[in-house]
Amino acid sequence: MADTTIKLDILTPLGPKRHGVVVPGVEVPGLLGELGVLPEHVPFITPIVPGVVRFRDGGDSVRIAVGAGFLEVTRDNRVVILVERALEVSEIDANKARDELKRVQADLSHDLGSIDAAEHRKLVTEQGWLEAQIRATAP
Amino acid sequence: MANLKEIRSRITTVKNTRKITSAMSRIAAARLVKAQQAAMGARPYGERLDQVVGSLVASLGGESEGEEGAAHPLLLKRSGNGRVVIVHITADRGLAGGFNANINRAVVNFIRKEREAGNDVVLLTVGKKGRSFFQHSNQRIVRHHDAPTLADLVVKAKAIASEVMAMFTGGKEGGDTDLPQVDRVYFAYNYFKNVLTQQPRIEQLLPFESREIVNDERVLPVLEPGRDALLGHLLPIAVESRLQQAFFNSIAGEIAARRTAMDSASDNATQLIRELTLFYNRERQAAITKELMEIIGGAEALKG
Repeated sequence: MADTTIKLDILTPLGPKRHGVVVPGVEVPGLLGELGVLPEHVPFITPIVPGVVRFRDGGDSVRIAVGAGFLEVTRDNRVVILVERALEVSEIDANKARDELKRVQADLSHDLGSIDAAEHRKLVTEQGWLEAQIRATAP
Repeated sequence: MANLKEIRSRITTVKNTRKITSAMSRIAAARLVKAQQAAMGARPYGERLDQVVGSLVASLGGESEGEEGAAHPLLLKRSGNGRVVIVHITADRGLAGGFNANINRAVVNFIRKEREAGNDVVLLTVGKKGRSFFQHSNQRIVRHHDAPTLADLVVKAKAIASEVMAMFTGGKEGGDTDLPQVDRVYFAYNYFKNVLTQQPRIEQLLPFESREIVNDERVLPVLEPGRDALLGHLLPIAVESRLQQAFFNSIAGEIAARRTAMDSASDNATQLIRELTLFYNRERQAAITKELMEIIGGAEALKG
């Protein structure tokens, strides 16, 4: 009998967000585009970019904003999402994120010359993370 | 009697000291729970990440050896003598038993060994105690950060990781000129084994090596994109994660060490107070007895 569910772990440096939840499938923002993982997936590793992880937990559909990291599918139908940060929709302050995003975008748009490459990369990361939060809260 | 007064004031002093140490111990106990949970909560992430990246690196086999052809700049092993940097993680504050002293001593021994092997050693200190310890010797400190807190730990790990990666890859990234180029990067920290035990550890950070080869009987998973691109994405994260883990351990270890140290300091103070009080009472009684004897003696002499 093939499994019809997968076990999902979402781990972050600040502790696990989800541990061993049983889900029918999960959608994640991969480096090469949005991808869905269903039961019986081959063992698989791919990077995750900032975005929204979606899955159904019981009757609820859950959205979690995640930072960069990677996804691992093991042979025993386990999916592990390791990301540097993750926030549930209820933990996100969308208005604050929008204001922050405006500030970051403003910093990014004017005078690229005065900020160095490291600073630029930091801003781009921040931008991706804020956009992920906003997208997670969008209906 | 002067002696009695001295003892009395000594008892007061010790009692005041005990107030401080027991307050510190109680504060540490309250913070310990949070720090311990954070350290334990972070471990699954760090271990899993380490395993995955480790098995990826291990699957490269001998490809990562040698001067050229390393799959990723962070794996490049440089032979011969050169310069090493140690990320030396201590606390900002003392009064934590042997916490800072142990790791300082371990690093001193390590530096001596590296020097004997003909390598130049520079330090990147995290935590004021480590810096002040090495400032007095002629040890070159290239960068200093204050000890991380649970709140800014992730950001700090990111910053330090990018500094050491820049030093290792030859300062191409960022353009920091005051960071010298290094051939190896180590990090030294107190591993939080449990509340009573913290072990000083010195581990290699770069070139990145898998810790223990987990004997994976699993089929090698499908990688997307290819292995080298994946390593490019994951290696910086893994380096950051190792530093994060070290910070978590160091924070929990510092608080645990302080709690233990302050606990035993309070116990010692209680013991000292008991001894001093006994001594004080004995002296007081002796003084009374002596006075009585003098009065009696005086009375006897008058009678005679």
